Amino acid sequence: MRLNVQSLSLWLAALFGAVMLVAFVAFPGFFPPMSPEDSAPEVAAFYAGNTTMIRASMVVFNLCAVMLVPFFMVIVYQMKRMATPTQVLAYGYLSAVASGITLFAIADLFWLIAAFRPERDPEQIQLLNDLAWITFIAPVGMIVAQNLCLAAAVYLDARPEPIFPRWVGHLSIAVGLAMVPSAAASAVRTGPLAWDGAISFWLRNGAYAAFMVVMFFVLRRAIAQEAAEEGAAAPEAAVLADVGP
Amino acid sequence: MTVAPRSPKADLWVCWWLFPLFYTLFGVIFVVLTRVMPPPRPGVSVEQINEFFDQHETTIKIGFGMLMVFIGLASVTNALVAVQMKRMSVKPVFAYAYITTLAVGAVPGCLFAAFAFVAAVFRPDRDPELVALLYDIGLLTFVGSLGCFTTNYLVLAIAILLDENEIFPRWVAYITFWQIATELLAGPVFVFQKGAFAWNGAISFWEGTLIFGVFLACLIVVLRRAIEQQPVDESVQA
Repeated sequence: MRLNVQSLSLWLAALFGAVMLVAFVAFPGFFPPMSPEDSAPEVAAFYAGNTTMIRASMVVFNLCAVMLVPFFMVIVYQMKRMATPTQVLAYGYLSAVASGITLFAIADLFWLIAAFRPERDPEQIQLLNDLAWITFIAPVGMIVAQNLCLAAAVYLDARPEPIFPRWVGHLSIAVGLAMVPSAAASAVRTGPLAWDGAISFWLRNGAYAAFMVVMFFVLRRAIAQEAAEEGAAAPEAAVLADVGP
Repeated sequence: MTVAPRSPKADLWVCWWLFPLFYTLFGVIFVVLTRVMPPPRPGVSVEQINEFFDQHETTIKIGFGMLMVFIGLASVTNALVAVQMKRMSVKPVFAYAYITTLAVGAVPGCLFAAFAFVAAVFRPDRDPELVALLYDIGLLTFVGSLGCFTTNYLVLAIAILLDENEIFPRWVAYITFWQIATELLAGPVFVFQKGAFAWNGAISFWEGTLIFGVFLACLIVVLRRAIEQQPVDESVQA
């Protein structure tokens, strides 16, 4: 297979996604997730006792999270190829990716700032920790918007052979809706909706990670289909490209 | 009217309806529930700030909990305006700038207020001085994220003036220039704790909000007109 920017973007996401999974497991505050009920001294003790691993795992998050942007832009590009009335949904998706990934970048900065001076006043460390967790879990709107834009575009795609199969639309809506309850993590400190809860932490992060894995394979198929169409449209150009340096 | 799937302009009309929906929710969240608009006073004591949060704790949680989800609609409204800008006779550069400036602006200009306020009411026993810090972070970022919106209005206004396809009427550009003026007049919020130029002042807040309301209503109307007049089989620059 010839390397093109689309395939490269997928593999970048696979590589950095795998690295982030390691960082996710390595972060001492995710297994189990830290409780919002922890007192300020408990939070400060957590940062003092795990400083190195917190810094290491969050620096990795910081470096790798935005590496997923090219992957999302493959989705935008494929949405633009769809036979939808206009490209408004593709641009809505793009806009939501830009805002959403910014939130991810800010969350890991709060964790890193909290870990920078573990001797800081515990009340201040607790506030930074709160801001990190709330920013990481609660503002799900951009992901919801991405998934609903994607689903609407899939349903409106009038190509005889659609860019993405219809079930991608259903899955995209289901995953988008699974994100919604996590918004409550900005308000509650106990139960499944708290930032460490079964819904707000495990369902939210698990469902989105699984969705990205599925989209990896869906996009591979769409890229192959696009190459086949281009090859059929201009066989001599494809032959020239294959023998190129 | 039934909107069959794959009907012409279905995507545009769905996005258009989301536009007034988003700003209605925006009003409910920021005015009715979280009391960010009109903003509480900047020149108050730490005790008064803590009282403000105690008093509005529940509605702040409900309102900003809603915003965490509905902020996503902002990306759709960005895209709708950008797609109309791409139909203009100018190159799509300003359409892309329109999306980018608002995608940036959503975080400091809208969500940061939510993060600060929900953190302020998250723990009733939080150090009052930290609660006061969150009050300033929330309100200054909300009223004072000037550049994202100034740039956004500038590219919109210029695109309208240069456009020969008459996608939007020219008078929309003049209203958009007023929006730039309101952002410039909000600059002093970082200096003043009382008076017309404070974050709750007659100029920095009330005048700006009034013009914003007019601008928004006009934008929604001219977007509707633009979509109605858009040919179904129009080819738009990539």
